Amino acid sequence: MSGRVLVVDDEVEMQRALRTGLRYHDFDVRAVGTGEEAIRETAAWRPDVILLDLGLPGMDGFATLRALRPATRAGVIVVSVMPGEKDKVRALDAGADDYVVKPFGTDELVARIRAVLRRQADLSAGEPVIRAGDLEIDLARRSVTAGGRAVKLTPTEYELLRYLALHAGKPVTHTTLLRQVWGEYAVGDKYNTRYVVGQIRKKLGDDPANPRYIVNEPGVGYRLQA
Amino acid sequence: MTRRAAPYAVAIAGAVLVTIAIGLVSTRFQVPGLSAFYLLLVLWLGATWGRGPAVAGSVAAFLLYDYFFVPPVGTFTVRGPTEVLELMVLLAVALVTGQLAGSLRRAQSAAEALAADERAMYELATAALRSPEVTVALSLLSQRAVRLEGVSRFVLVAMDFGSTVPLAGGDVNADELRQAIWSYENKRPVGVAISDGAVRLMRTSPESTEPAYLPLASGVAVMTVEPGGSDPGDLRMLAALIGLADLLLDRRRAALEAERARGFEASDRLKAAILSSLSHELKSPIASLRAGLTALMAPQAGLQPEQRELLGDLDGQASRLDRLVGDMLALSRLEAGMELDREPMRFADLVGTALHQLRPALKGREVTLEFADDLPPVEVDELQVGRVLTNLIENANEWAPSNGKIAVGASANDERLTAWVENDGPAIAPTDLERVFDTFWTRRARGSGLGLAIAKRVVEAHGGTIRAENRRRGPRFTFTLPLARVAATR
Repeated sequence: MSGRVLVVDDEVEMQRALRTGLRYHDFDVRAVGTGEEAIRETAAWRPDVILLDLGLPGMDGFATLRALRPATRAGVIVVSVMPGEKDKVRALDAGADDYVVKPFGTDELVARIRAVLRRQADLSAGEPVIRAGDLEIDLARRSVTAGGRAVKLTPTEYELLRYLALHAGKPVTHTTLLRQVWGEYAVGDKYNTRYVVGQIRKKLGDDPANPRYIVNEPGVGYRLQA
Repeated sequence: MTRRAAPYAVAIAGAVLVTIAIGLVSTRFQVPGLSAFYLLLVLWLGATWGRGPAVAGSVAAFLLYDYFFVPPVGTFTVRGPTEVLELMVLLAVALVTGQLAGSLRRAQSAAEALAADERAMYELATAALRSPEVTVALSLLSQRAVRLEGVSRFVLVAMDFGSTVPLAGGDVNADELRQAIWSYENKRPVGVAISDGAVRLMRTSPESTEPAYLPLASGVAVMTVEPGGSDPGDLRMLAALIGLADLLLDRRRAALEAERARGFEASDRLKAAILSSLSHELKSPIASLRAGLTALMAPQAGLQPEQRELLGDLDGQASRLDRLVGDMLALSRLEAGMELDREPMRFADLVGTALHQLRPALKGREVTLEFADDLPPVEVDELQVGRVLTNLIENANEWAPSNGKIAVGASANDERLTAWVENDGPAIAPTDLERVFDTFWTRRARGSGLGLAIAKRVVEAHGGTIRAENRRRGPRFTFTLPLARVAATR
């Protein structure tokens, strides 16, 4: 699987390293240094994935992300040195698909890019059955099986799992889950999602101390392992 | 002298007047028991002036009565028991009423003195508490003290963190300062003591006018009190003033300490802020390094296996540098008193997250989990306690032999959860069991020497404890976490 990757980073060394590294993994790579260039390049070149550094000079990463999001369906992976958990949540809420913390190794980055591309492919294929490992979610029948065993979930649990599955591999924030499952005006906190995730794990036979399906993203939310 | 004699003169004059009155009455009417008028006189004398004048009055009354009215009139002859009895009654009444009146009067004057003291203290205390500057209040107090009879000097010397500051009532000379410091450091008063709520002078010689030193909680009162001359009320007042000075000096010390703490905190925060921007600057080039090094490690780059191995080593070093920078920043943030974002968490979730994060580093090594499913939830900062677990598990991974095991366990009682991380690597030298938590202390060149120091700070910020010990299997790190107050997620 290959694709077009736009690198947005103001450090020339980083641009060069990523260009080289990602090309070795068969990606088509272009690199720019500012938010404005990123917007132009996105419109002209139509990348599949954008690697967006948050610490850009001038128009910063968040502003760039907000400008990009309505104009493109490209997956956006936010890249940042020492992001706080609040930055991660903010980026995800603003439409980022994932985040990677600098410094990172090329392999880790490639894995993230591939996960985003795979998710895009799944979504556009409109498969009625979502698979994550031996977990199967049949969206048409609203049924869930884990390791071939049928799992009975409450509507709330099903909604939460369905949302995580639709975004398999992507970290989903507590707030997003809360809204998706309980509605736009849901009031509550991490406590609610933690409780429901605990119930789902129990029913899926997932050990919280050694999770196979749903993984905690500390300070952010949850991620269903793709 | 005249003031003291006056009541006696009144007593005798009173006796004469009563005698004349009795004489006038008895020439007109025949009334028995007129001598009882003398009793009234003696009662009045006793109540007004006390025992002495009353006795004088009663003796005068007896003599006059005997001379003018008891037959044979015109002589002082005492005849028969009746007259002796009469004299005795008069004297007894004089003594008893005098005694009663005297103690009443003493009680009253004491009460008045006390009320005056209290009023003065109240005024001073409110003035002192109202004034925003403690030094102003102390000056007021010192001025009040030297207005007391016999007090010629009242200096307050504050002892602040090893330095001395004369605060109120003037200066002290070098000798006096030395003496004051000695008194403060040894908690020993010199030449003075406070007992029963009053200042008592303790002099080697009665004429000495050397200053006296009284150590207080945060300073010393240096005072010169004239020997003799002081009124007991004034000495009580002085003691009360010293008590107030003690409070004020304490207040001053507390304010200074708070200020110092704020200063330290601000400097810790500044340090953390500087380190934060420095870390950012350090991590950016490390990021380029790692991206470049790992890019070349791809098979497509066409390098030889040993070249790729070398790049792997370099990348490992770059990662270590990154880790060191991150740990230093984390530690400085903890030292600057970072706020904890506590919430009810399941211990199993915390362990699961840590193990998931460490999966690449563990390289398939088995981690045994030894805790029950129904552990009560803990009330912790997810990220910080996650860091404790990753640091401890990483440390165990570092020390366990290549085919060795790591175990993570926990148990809970009513108050806390006790968790531990153990490996079957070599024991920690007994002398090092405490030192492993020291900043930059490490048994090997590989670690940053900060992981365990961070773990200790995080655990302590949660009100818990952490310790290292050698168990049969190998070294074990045990720490405690607070339980959640409410029942939480299952």
